[in-house]
Amino acid sequence: MSGVRPTKGYLMDLKRRISFIERGTEFLKLKRDHLAKELSTSLEVLRGRRKLLLQNLRDAYGALTAAYLSLGPTEVKSQVRAVKKRLELEVLPRSVMGVRYPYVKFVSKPQIGAELDVTLSHAAKKVQEILEELIQTAEFEARVERIADELGKTNRKVNALENTIIPSYKQVIKFIEDKLDEESLEELVRVKLIGGALARRRV
Amino acid sequence: MRLKYASAVVRCHALLSELLTPEQIRRLAETENFNTFIDQLSETPYGNISLEAYRDVSVALEQLFYRKFIERISRIIDITPKKIASFLQTYYYMRFEILNLKRILRGKFGGIPSQQILESLIPIEPYHVKDFKELLEQETIEEIVKHLHGTPYSNLSESIQLYKETEELWPFELSLNNIYASTILKLVETLSSPDRVLVKRIVELETDIENLLIALKQREMVQDTRRLQSLFPTTFKFNIEKMKEFIESKDIKQFIIELGEPYTEILSPIYEGDVSLVRSRLRQQIYRTMKRGRSMNDFGFNVIIAYLVFCEIEKDDLVGMSWSKAQGISSENILKYLVLPQFI
Repeated sequence: MSGVRPTKGYLMDLKRRISFIERGTEFLKLKRDHLAKELSTSLEVLRGRRKLLLQNLRDAYGALTAAYLSLGPTEVKSQVRAVKKRLELEVLPRSVMGVRYPYVKFVSKPQIGAELDVTLSHAAKKVQEILEELIQTAEFEARVERIADELGKTNRKVNALENTIIPSYKQVIKFIEDKLDEESLEELVRVKLIGGALARRRV
Repeated sequence: MRLKYASAVVRCHALLSELLTPEQIRRLAETENFNTFIDQLSETPYGNISLEAYRDVSVALEQLFYRKFIERISRIIDITPKKIASFLQTYYYMRFEILNLKRILRGKFGGIPSQQILESLIPIEPYHVKDFKELLEQETIEEIVKHLHGTPYSNLSESIQLYKETEELWPFELSLNNIYASTILKLVETLSSPDRVLVKRIVELETDIENLLIALKQREMVQDTRRLQSLFPTTFKFNIEKMKEFIESKDIKQFIIELGEPYTEILSPIYEGDVSLVRSRLRQQIYRTMKRGRSMNDFGFNVIIAYLVFCEIEKDDLVGMSWSKAQGISSENILKYLVLPQFI
C-alpha cells in the first residue's frame, strides 16, 4: 500500500470515486446485456437471411446459366453492354449504442430495360435482387461483427472493474479505514492517558 | 429427284452422316469436366482443338462452332441453284450480319473498345454492309446508322429520333428485326410451292414464339400498348390484338393452354418458371418438324433445309454445352436445355 495517504480526505475522495466507478459498472452491465440481446437477435436474423440468400443465389445462378445456354456467351455479353447505368454505391457510417457500422446507400441501380432478351432480363432481375440482398447482408454482418466486438470490449471492461479495480479500491479504503480507526484509538488512549495524568497532578 | 437440286441433295445426304448423333451429344454433355469434353470433341469431325492461345475458351469454342456451321452453309450454297442459294444466303448470312450489327451498336453504346467488339462478331464475311471494321471506326451510333445508307439497313435512320428520345437501342434492334422478317417473307414467296411449305412453317413458328416472348417481357414492364405496332411489325398466327390480349391477360397459364399445340408445349415453361426452356422447346419443335419434313421426300429441297437446320441445332447445343462445361455446370442441368439428347 505504498503511496496511499491514510487521510480522511483521501478516504472521502476514494469513496466518491468508487461510487462513481460502481455506477459506471452498472451502466456498462446494462450496455453489455443490451448488446448481448441485440447480438443474439441479429445472429438469428442473419442466419435466416443467409439461408434465404443461398437459395436465391442458387435460383439466380440457375437463371443466368439458362440464359447463357439459350443465347450463347457472346450474345449475353453483347446484350449486357447495352444496359444503361451501373451499380453505384456509397458507404456511410451509422451508429447503434455508440457502435459505428457501415451503411450502404444505393446511388444508382442498373436499368434492365427493353434491350435485354426476356431470358436474360429474368436472370438480370434475379441477379440484381441478389446483389441488393448480398450488400444488405454484408452490411448486417458488419453490424453484427461490430456489436460482437463491442460486446467483448464491454465484457472485458465490466470484468476488469468488478474483479480488479473495484476490489483494489475497496482494499485501499479498508486499509485507510483500519489505519484511521487505529489512529483514532491511539488518539483516544493518548487523550485518556493525558486526562489521567492531569487528574493525578490536580490531586 | 428434281435435277436442279440433285448435287446439293446428294451432298446433304452424305454430309448428314458427318453430324453428331443425339447419343454423341449426350455423351459430350455427360463428360466429367471441360478437358474430357475437349478430348471427346476431338474424336468428332471437329478434330483437334487447341485453346491455349485464347483468353476465354468458351467464346473461342463458340467462334469455332460458328465457323464450322458457316463453312457447312457455304458448301451447300455453292452447289444449289441461284434462287435457293439466294434464299439460303439471306436466311443465314443476313441473320448473322444483323446479329453483328446489333453487337456493334451495343458495343458502341456501352463504350467498348473496337477491338473487343470485333472479337465478339460472328465470323462471317460482310453480306450487305461493306466492312464491319469501317462501321467500328465510326465514333457515334448516328454515324454508324448514316454509314449504313445505301444498304437494306438504311431504314434504321428512321429510328434515330426514337433512340434519342429513349436513349435506348431497342428502336434499332426492332427495326433490324423488321428488315430481316420482311426480306425473308419476300424471299420465301419466290420459292416454288412445295419448297415454300416447310420453310414457311419454321419461319412462322419462330416469329410467333419470338413475338410472344417480347409480349411476355412487355407484361413485366410498364405497359405501353401504343407501341404495339412497332413491337410486332410481323405477325402470323397471333396478330397484334392477340399480343395485346397476352400482355393484359390475368391468367397466363390459361392463355397459353388456349393457344393450342405446338404453342402450349413450347411456351409451358413460362408458367412452370423457366422461361429459358422456351427456346430449347422451340428448337425441339423445329427439329421434329424438319425430321418429319425430310422423311416426306428424300430428294427435294426439304433435305437441304433439314440438313442446315440440323447443323444449326448441333451448333447451338455445342455452344451452350461448351460454355457450361467451362463453368463446371452439372450434366443434369445442361441436358435439359439441349435439343438433340431429347431425341434418343
